[in-house]
Amino acid sequence: MKLELQHDESKFLIRLADTSVILGQRLAEMCSRGPFLEEDMALSNISLDLFGRAEELYKLICKIEGADYTPDDLVYRRNEREYYNIKLVEQPNEDFAWVIARQFFHDLYAETLFGQLTTSSNAELAGLAVKVLKEIKYSHMHAADWMDRLGLGTEESNHRLQYAVDHLRKYIVEIFDFDDLDRRFIADTASLETTWRNAVSAKLQACNIEEKEIVTPSIRDFRDGYHSEHMGNLLSIMQYLPRAYPDAKW
Amino acid sequence: MESGDRTWEVFIQKKPGLAFKHAGSCHGYDKKMAIQNARDLYTRRGEGRALWVVPTEAIVSVPLDDAEAFFDPGEDKAYRHATFYKIPDGVSHL
Repeated sequence: MKLELQHDESKFLIRLADTSVILGQRLAEMCSRGPFLEEDMALSNISLDLFGRAEELYKLICKIEGADYTPDDLVYRRNEREYYNIKLVEQPNEDFAWVIARQFFHDLYAETLFGQLTTSSNAELAGLAVKVLKEIKYSHMHAADWMDRLGLGTEESNHRLQYAVDHLRKYIVEIFDFDDLDRRFIADTASLETTWRNAVSAKLQACNIEEKEIVTPSIRDFRDGYHSEHMGNLLSIMQYLPRAYPDAKW
Repeated sequence: MESGDRTWEVFIQKKPGLAFKHAGSCHGYDKKMAIQNARDLYTRRGEGRALWVVPTEAIVSVPLDDAEAFFDPGEDKAYRHATFYKIPDGVSHL
């Protein structure tokens, strides 16, 4: 489909929805690959929460647009350049440390963001924000706990977490490079950034991970539909079934 | 899991005031991990509002060989059941 959103609010919301669905897909890839049974279930639970969050956001978008397409259409029938998720969440599951660092970075951002959206003038969005905030808080707690365990664990686990953090931090700058749309729908963009940066610095220090000088790669903005090289591969797997069998029902 | 891992017994309370019920067991290196694992395994569908985890080795059980001495004497003593009393209206969890 060629997606052309007409309303500013849905142009903003699709960034949140896409970020949720892509991270949900990354965590779904961990299903049956968790380090042990309980953690496998935990990651799958968080994945399902993210899919649920995304679906509700897509429904809001469909409603605002008065569209004849559905959340399924939005997820399965858009191409890479029509996706507007932050690049952080499309980064691959290189190892468990990557999964945890990516989740920690995302959850901190999502917690402040949805916290601010609880006072949105769109009552449905505000209500949704209140509901998902509880999920995000648990996920954040879970990820923060693992940051400590990996960072303060063995030399190997610390090394792996350091490597993951160094890589993933390259994809942070664009998140806070706000545009007019962000500033219109996020109550306080400045505090979103400072809250995130302060909390991350404190956590990295506490779990013995170095906050190195990062050379941010020259990448184009996710807000214009640009992605890292991992996105196409992720979509080809996520969208395979409905694209190969357009009439499939499930 | 590897060394350092322990198992924990999980108890869930459905509503305040009710007894905690044994739900199963889970793994965990420490209390914090155990309670999170228990939450992820056993309370995903609104099973309760409160959760306990107890190290499995803290549970004391009757040795199998002694089961007859422990339990058989209670089997033929119907008068020990509280079925000869009327339960007052409004008592729901007796």
